[in-house]
Amino acid sequence: MNGINGKTTEETNVLIEVRGLCKSFGSLNVLENIDITIRKGEKVAVIGPSGSGKSTFLRCLNCMEDPTGGEILFEGENLADRKVDINIHREHMGMVFQQFNLFHNKTVLQNIMMAPLILQTKREIRETARAQVEKRAEAKGKKHNRFAMWWLCGVERIKVSKRVKEQVRERVKEKALNLLERIGLSEKADAYPATLSGGQKQRIAIVRALAMNPKVILFDEPTSALDPEMVGEVLDLIRQLAEEGMTMVIVTHEMGFAREVADRVLFMADGGIAEEGTPEELFGNPKNPRTKDFLSKVL
Amino acid sequence: MGKTEWQLFYGKFIKANGYRVVLRGLVATLEIAVFGLLIGIFIGTLIAVIKVMPKYKRLPRILSAVCDVYVGFFRGTPMVVQLLIGWFVILPAFHLQLDSVAVAVIVFGLNSGAYISEIMRGGINSVDPGQLEAARAVGLPYHTSMLRVVVPQAVKNILPTLGNEFITLIKETSVVSFIAVVDVTKAFRQIGDSNYSYIIPYLMLALTYLILVIGISRLVKLMERRLAKNERH
Repeated sequence: MNGINGKTTEETNVLIEVRGLCKSFGSLNVLENIDITIRKGEKVAVIGPSGSGKSTFLRCLNCMEDPTGGEILFEGENLADRKVDINIHREHMGMVFQQFNLFHNKTVLQNIMMAPLILQTKREIRETARAQVEKRAEAKGKKHNRFAMWWLCGVERIKVSKRVKEQVRERVKEKALNLLERIGLSEKADAYPATLSGGQKQRIAIVRALAMNPKVILFDEPTSALDPEMVGEVLDLIRQLAEEGMTMVIVTHEMGFAREVADRVLFMADGGIAEEGTPEELFGNPKNPRTKDFLSKVL
Repeated sequence: MGKTEWQLFYGKFIKANGYRVVLRGLVATLEIAVFGLLIGIFIGTLIAVIKVMPKYKRLPRILSAVCDVYVGFFRGTPMVVQLLIGWFVILPAFHLQLDSVAVAVIVFGLNSGAYISEIMRGGINSVDPGQLEAARAVGLPYHTSMLRVVVPQAVKNILPTLGNEFITLIKETSVVSFIAVVDVTKAFRQIGDSNYSYIIPYLMLALTYLILVIGISRLVKLMERRLAKNERH
């Protein structure tokens, strides 16, 4: 396990550790040498002028953009390594987009259910089948070789698939309905995204991420595409999640919100972190002239 | 003149059971067009997905090159030539015993696959990239994301064009008599051939195609309206 000062990541509660992250598009260097550590339960706000690489930084965290250099350690696994199966880790990293990106061809309920349904069904069929085969082998006192195991599990999977599928569907559906109820949109379960307002879409996008039980949620300017009167409802939901202890990284232009919710604020400029600190430090007493300049323009 | 032409046609078509040949020909035409289209959609989607795949690994690059050759060949040579090659070159070369309709279905499928791949690629590119991103961000693998989210939306976008392709396909099937398939064209020609009077049979032939095509356009419109339900309701 990688860690800080000889401690393992578990002890220090580190969730994401970024080391020397670089990203370039062709000859354009967007991110240069970014180091940052995000602990469990921490709320990190990322602010900065447009073109400073905020969104690219966020998108590198779950490899939506492949980093061109450096490491991203998520629970000790280097996501920047092509050999690591990124999909498994993405399940634990929710992402919320500026443009919501709800699936247009699916209803609200299907939007929330799709990913957990597909992924959990696959996993549980595999695990149930394996457990069954092992249990039976143990009862008989036999130990199967690798090939026999593969064959028996394959057969068992077909047998258990229907039952497991229904179990998972019921569980996932219940969770999805609970989430919808939480945001007060139960009556929209069977509506298509095109019929919803921006605020509703974004709240559904957030609970879609929550349905996966993520360890961290990455917000990419969650309120920038919203009409002003809808910003509040989305921020309220994010605030609730923050209070519940969800780890989050939020790229935002809502300075007031960043100040209120974040434990730590990063100010990015020219592809690097120009300044970081608590909201009080950074907003109250910025040290870097670029931070001062930026804040004087937006506050 | 008119009366005798009609009488000749009537005699052949009804009394000498010419309509049976025509109906069988119609079935063959539809069979080739429908199955050709289905094969074409399958191949076309496959090629399109390969073409839009990220290319940093070697396998997608090789597959993409193979697809380029395939599309190049089938778009660069006439349908009749492809039929002739299939029937007179490939079949004897591999000592295959295949029905001529089956050969026509395969050739039409391969041919329309090349065209549909381009249509489908346009369709996939017309889907907002955020859709794929959102699916990938929750941990779905690339192929699942494409199949469940992107391709269904792409198909909806290209449905009118796909309907057009089907219409083109139906009309193009009129060349299958080159490899001894009796389709509607051939059936009506046989009626004409039997007493050297072609006016009515050929006009009837045109009418048959016209009715087929209008019917299909209607069907496509209906499907479009059903699929549009997730835009507003």
